[in-house]
Amino acid sequence: MSDPADASGVAPAGAIDWEDPSTLPLDEVRDLFQTLAKALRAYQLYDENNPVYKRFVGNLRESFQGLWGEVERLPVQVEEDRITWLREEVYRSESRADSLAFLFYKDGVREFTFLPGIEDVELEPLLSVLQRARNLRPESDDLLTILWEADLSRFQYHYVDVLAEGIDSPILEGDTQPNLRLILTGELSLDDIPEADEAAAQVAGAEQAAPLRPKVSADDLNPTLYSLNAREMEQLRKELDREMARDLRGDVLAALFDRLEEPGNPGRQTQILAILRTLLPNFLSRGEITAAATVLEEVGALIRDERRFDGARRAQAGAMVEEISGADSIEELIRALQDGSIRPAPRELSDFLRHLGAGALEPLIRAAEETEEKELRPVLREACRGIAAQNRVAILALLESDEPAVVAGATRVAGRIQLTEAGTKLSELLSHEDERVQLAAIEAAVNLKASTAAGALEAALQHSDRSIRMASARGLAHLRYKPAERTLRQVITSKQVRQADLSEKIAFFEAFGLLAGAGGVSVLDRMLNSRGFLGRRESPDVRACAALALGKIRTAAARKALETAAKEDDPVVRSAVNRALRGED
Amino acid sequence: MGDAGSPARADGAFLQEYGRKVLTGFYAALRALKFYPVENTTVQQAIDELHGIITELLEIEGGVELKVVGDFFFLNETRLRLDLTNYSTFGSFSRALGEHEIGAVQVLEGMGREEWAPFLSVLLRNAEGDRPFESFLARLDGSPAHHVVLEKAKETLQTDLEAEESLAAAKRTYTQSVKVANGVLTDVRMGRAVNVRKVKRAVQGIVDQVLSNEPSLVAMTTLRDFDEYTFTHSVNVCIFSVVIGQRLGLTRLQLYELGLGALFHDVGKMKMDPELITKTGALDDEEWAQMREHPTEGLLLLFKLHGFADVPYRQMLTAYEHHMKVDASGYPANKRARLPSLFSRIVAVADSFDAATSVRSYQYEPWPPDEVLKEMRDNPSRGMDPLLVKALINATGVYPVGTLVILDTLELAVVVQSNPNLDMLHQPVVKVISDAVGVPLAEPRTLDLSESDPVTGDPLRAIIKTTDANKYGVRVADYLV
Repeated sequence: MSDPADASGVAPAGAIDWEDPSTLPLDEVRDLFQTLAKALRAYQLYDENNPVYKRFVGNLRESFQGLWGEVERLPVQVEEDRITWLREEVYRSESRADSLAFLFYKDGVREFTFLPGIEDVELEPLLSVLQRARNLRPESDDLLTILWEADLSRFQYHYVDVLAEGIDSPILEGDTQPNLRLILTGELSLDDIPEADEAAAQVAGAEQAAPLRPKVSADDLNPTLYSLNAREMEQLRKELDREMARDLRGDVLAALFDRLEEPGNPGRQTQILAILRTLLPNFLSRGEITAAATVLEEVGALIRDERRFDGARRAQAGAMVEEISGADSIEELIRALQDGSIRPAPRELSDFLRHLGAGALEPLIRAAEETEEKELRPVLREACRGIAAQNRVAILALLESDEPAVVAGATRVAGRIQLTEAGTKLSELLSHEDERVQLAAIEAAVNLKASTAAGALEAALQHSDRSIRMASARGLAHLRYKPAERTLRQVITSKQVRQADLSEKIAFFEAFGLLAGAGGVSVLDRMLNSRGFLGRRESPDVRACAALALGKIRTAAARKALETAAKEDDPVVRSAVNRALRGED
Repeated sequence: MGDAGSPARADGAFLQEYGRKVLTGFYAALRALKFYPVENTTVQQAIDELHGIITELLEIEGGVELKVVGDFFFLNETRLRLDLTNYSTFGSFSRALGEHEIGAVQVLEGMGREEWAPFLSVLLRNAEGDRPFESFLARLDGSPAHHVVLEKAKETLQTDLEAEESLAAAKRTYTQSVKVANGVLTDVRMGRAVNVRKVKRAVQGIVDQVLSNEPSLVAMTTLRDFDEYTFTHSVNVCIFSVVIGQRLGLTRLQLYELGLGALFHDVGKMKMDPELITKTGALDDEEWAQMREHPTEGLLLLFKLHGFADVPYRQMLTAYEHHMKVDASGYPANKRARLPSLFSRIVAVADSFDAATSVRSYQYEPWPPDEVLKEMRDNPSRGMDPLLVKALINATGVYPVGTLVILDTLELAVVVQSNPNLDMLHQPVVKVISDAVGVPLAEPRTLDLSESDPVTGDPLRAIIKTTDANKYGVRVADYLV
């Protein structure tokens, strides 16, 4: 560069004499590089919203702003352990690990220039590039490739191309001495073109021959055939938008499945299955649940289709599904879902989970029982139901688990999939020491309509736990287990029920109403409408529950009893009577 | 200089946006003045808008310099991005400046609204005499446009030096890219670890060269080496793909993505039997069946390449789809719904063009480039996207660089540069290599076939046909590189 002022970047109009280093703003430049190094360290250590990081970046911004009053730009040279400006050292670090100079030097950057404006929008992108450059794998990227991608307009650099060393410019060998005349004559005479004779005559030296006309199709000169018009450009612009929005991953997967289902190339099938096995955890870790679901769905379909795989490939594909369905994988997934590192929509998650194998049941059931995520629980339960429907025997095995949460979940699932083989086990589970299991057993018994479990349910009406008593009452009502009427009558007329809360009272009374039918009207009518010794009535709660129970009976006598109480003064009783008369649940 | 701290000033996107506005403003004002008298409302509105934009920019930047270099405009040293929405505006204004040999227009602070109409009117007049720039200046001096400073296009003064430098830069990029392609593809064949970083650097270099020095780099594609066909072909396909992408207005990063896919498009052939790849003569059915597996092999191989920030899905699809036709026929066969992507279709066009114009193991005689373009454009059974073929022709001209042509004077010539004027794509710049009686010229002469007889208006020379360089023993690269 011939103009030293250009090389230095020093503003020519300033009070600086570029030949006199003492007038250069060296301290400011040194300060700037120290601040840059600190900002880079802060970038490494802190989140981008952290005030410490923001302060360092702010300091760096101010350093640049201050410098632009003195220089028009800042071009510096890079050496292995230092950075110089106009041969003056402005940065040095002995330690390569933290050295800014070495960071640039090692990838070939020998000179770079900061331009005004870098402080406005390109400081953080630059810090990001420098930080990334510290941790790159040499086979993937270097500082130069990521600087190029960052496309910074206010940071310019020059480098020596280490990769290009030893490359020679192309040298063309051989000699070109063709007999052009002979060939040309031959070509024009042989070709079936009208001008051939004229051409031959010209070649032969006939000076007066008429000029040749271009043998180019008129179409070729029509610009519409090679210029894109506005409509075509718009079409291409839309194509480009589509390309950028394209589901690349989905299209690659579709290509893999197209080839995977070809039975003629088992070696390739092995290769593709291995690729899919690698992709699955990759998808899951990024929350790309739909892609993972697609893989499992497609592989599952191919396993079921006997024409696609030989024994070895089927085993390989099965092992892949088994692996992703294993406890470790599922627990990892559940962790990611619970800590929020992936947040699939419930439907996406459900789509994925339903393709898992039996191995996934235990961890999924455990998670469904224990999770505190309200949205997650129904998704997991639904997934368990779906998998269990295809793997019924696995549920029976889980009913024998030592873990109450697993037994409880498996019991619920057994009920939901109508696993009748579990009926006999339910009686046992109704007296399980863990109340979660007992509740689940009641739910399952109801779903299974398991008469074998009804006796146990009746016994549970006396259970110490309120929720189990209530669930048993509702279960017996649901099963229409008539033999329990006597016990329920005893309960509703006992002191026990008067000490219960309103919800429990309702559960017992309604169950009694449903099981007793017309035979229960007299006792309920008495409780609702009669007065006792000294004209005292039952409590409003008990009377209201008696009304609701009468509502379940739906006979003329029951209705008459309710109508008698329709003008009751007590609002609780009146409301219950009216509800019962309207037939509301 | 303006305020260095202004956020707007530092933002490249800002200058891009203003650049578009400035060029559109010039274009609109010139068009209005061309069709209406200066007092017409349309003209006045157009001048108002142009003046407003330039005044805003002057306030922010302190100065406005619009420079035209080759096909590109630079606004205050920022190269304006050509895209599908502006390239005809850019081209039209570039031709208006080129007519008068104007290389740069600098607008100074203090430019008055009343100065625009005189300046634009002079610009609209036809160029005069042998020295159009000087004539223009003389006419401008007599006008009230005092805040416009013009710079002559450097073409005539620096052509040789610049052309040499451009060619040297293109050579470096090309040879380095071929070396990288050779190394990487050989590593793939041998099952060795692949250094993707080198490929990235090579493609970044190609993108930079296409953006700044396209003609020189395209000329390099004629440097075909039969022994290194696989590697030079990969690089050539990369170059042509980026050239087409550039015509479509892809951003720099999109061109990079496209270029990476193009460079790897045939990576699957590294899994084929080398004897099959280099077999001379026709392939039998079984061999063709094997050959048709290379797109799938390419897709699978790219899964093994580490070093991409993400799984290189787009590049995988390019490798997989580059032999699919626009209607998704071709190979590999599709069972699930699919149409080849835009990038794959671009690479397919570039691949077909380079393959057909090259000498390969089973193709001793390459097709003339113009015939290849015509075939790809006009024969639907080739399955090429006609719009993309148009975009390639738009870049290469009707007679691509490297085509050997016979002129109506019976001189033989090599096309060395396409005509940037879209209306004259059939009239490229050529180097005449032999005279009318077939005697090779010691010093080939460069001619612009768009030059016409000043009296009759007819072209001085015209192409009568293209021909096969091998038939004449002519190595076109000798005249280009």
